[in-house]
Amino acid sequence: MGERPLLDYQALVTDARVHGSLYADPQVLEDEFERIFTRGWVFVGHESEIPEPGDWVTRRLGREPVIMVRDRDGRVQVLANRCAHRGTALCWEQRGHNSSFQCGYHAWTFGLDGSLRAVPYPAGFDRDKEDLALDRPGQVESYRGFVFADPDGGAGPLADHLGQGGAGLLDRLCDLSPTGSIDLSRGWIGHRVDSNWKMWPESDNDGYHLNWVHASMVSAAPDTYYQEVVLGGESGNQSRAVDWGGGHFELDFRPSYRHELAWLGASREKVPGYCESLEAAHGSERATQLLWEGPPHGFVFPNLFLGEMNVAIIEPVSTNEMVHWHTCVQLEGVDEAFNRRLLRQSEAALGPAAFIVPDDAVTAERMQLAFGGARADWAPAGRAWIDMSRGLAREQVLEGTRRAGLVSDETTNRAFWHHYRRVMTSGGAPSSRGR
Amino acid sequence: MSDSEDVRRQVEDFLYLEARLADESRYQEWEALVTDDMRYWVPAGPAEGDRDDSLSYINDNRARLATRIRQLCTGKRHAQTPPSPMRRIVSNIEILSDDGTEIHVTSNFVLYELAVQSKGRLRIWPGRATHILRRGDGRLRMAAKSVELVTAGEPQPNLTILL
Repeated sequence: MGERPLLDYQALVTDARVHGSLYADPQVLEDEFERIFTRGWVFVGHESEIPEPGDWVTRRLGREPVIMVRDRDGRVQVLANRCAHRGTALCWEQRGHNSSFQCGYHAWTFGLDGSLRAVPYPAGFDRDKEDLALDRPGQVESYRGFVFADPDGGAGPLADHLGQGGAGLLDRLCDLSPTGSIDLSRGWIGHRVDSNWKMWPESDNDGYHLNWVHASMVSAAPDTYYQEVVLGGESGNQSRAVDWGGGHFELDFRPSYRHELAWLGASREKVPGYCESLEAAHGSERATQLLWEGPPHGFVFPNLFLGEMNVAIIEPVSTNEMVHWHTCVQLEGVDEAFNRRLLRQSEAALGPAAFIVPDDAVTAERMQLAFGGARADWAPAGRAWIDMSRGLAREQVLEGTRRAGLVSDETTNRAFWHHYRRVMTSGGAPSSRGR
Repeated sequence: MSDSEDVRRQVEDFLYLEARLADESRYQEWEALVTDDMRYWVPAGPAEGDRDDSLSYINDNRARLATRIRQLCTGKRHAQTPPSPMRRIVSNIEILSDDGTEIHVTSNFVLYELAVQSKGRLRIWPGRATHILRRGDGRLRMAAKSVELVTAGEPQPNLTILL
């Protein structure tokens, strides 16, 4: 570690520019795995994915494979997917159900809480089983069913990480359910892209690119609601690009919706059951507000995209490769036809065969091609910088560090990068466990 | 030639024509092979259960398939601009049933796609297709096509071609 030249992230991310080496230099990813994905809060999964004790899913926290499992007491556990004996992965599929985890190598058996339960031929084994539980993150917390982990355990409370901005985004999604709970158990679709992971917090929340990258979608499906919320150009479009602080940000479409359920491309007549459930649960006034406002289109740092009625995980694989995992939000307490409508909308928007995201993917791959071997020492020479200044001068400063711009401004992109700079220069949250 | 051999020949001719039109990105000619109630399904796992109850890569009814073709024909579908050079091998054709109106047929395929839109990677798509071919006006048309990719459970690169 000590021999590595330190990268000067303060110099590589300015208020208005970002250096291309941050997408291309393998050392950057090593630093990110350490400072962002090991010393900070990272989204893991949703409680609804594992409803019953023994249900599990596998994920990656930065470079560490983990199992998210519901234990016998109904608690959500996040465990290293690595036998405490010789390190074999315990689970290799995306989801499953077990009453315990048994390693295939020497049959060590672990409980759903990660404790070591049994070792074959115990006479030759004199260690304390309590010292050989599965590794686990220092902290695991959830908010409205969204489970986050802080691997090193020194990042402070989840509430501080989310702040009002991040929590507000999750609230606005979950509040659309009559029960206040959403269901993310329909499985995740992975979209593999030959790009750095950071193109995705950018592109998923960029209000400036749609008329060009998505021109074919606009032309083939001209009745999309994106027409009124983000495509119409700057004049007359009331949507905003909002920096909520803490690396959380949003394309806020609410001011542009011209009728209830515009975000669903529907009206009350099309989905009467849903509207009745929402009114029964929340009262008429609140239901009307929810039907107008719809779900957020935003990002929770560092890896969670809330794409209206879709949820996506940004997973770095290598400097030049990432996976964009998504699933469709299903609401509890609504009729089946409504949830099926959401599934069909999700298939149109996200995934490798959808009408929208594949064009972002090829654009991200072209960016990655163009950055090629960009190195940090190109920066002083003025090479391979990207410009993110759009709207900087006309940004509205809200309370605290919050900012809002026109939906076509790069306020959301700066929100990501300015928080990134803070995290990467502070070395992440202080480690409590020592390394 | 027996009747069943004649049917087999018609089915093979149809599948090979469909494959060639897809390989050559002749979108509208491919679309002319489908019925007005065509269903096109590419599940993210085994082709089991109720397709409408799961999250799929593709689950098109006829209207959505028309949108898909329209998008490809705009010339601005960046993920297929320019269209990928492709060739596929179709084999292991088995006629599962034939009720006189509809023929259910499965086949294996291996499709080679050169993704020239960005890094020029060769993508290999192995899988199994199940077609429902319907007789009418003296010809066959596709009323349904479902495609089980061997890699269906794993992350996919852009899948903006016609499988």
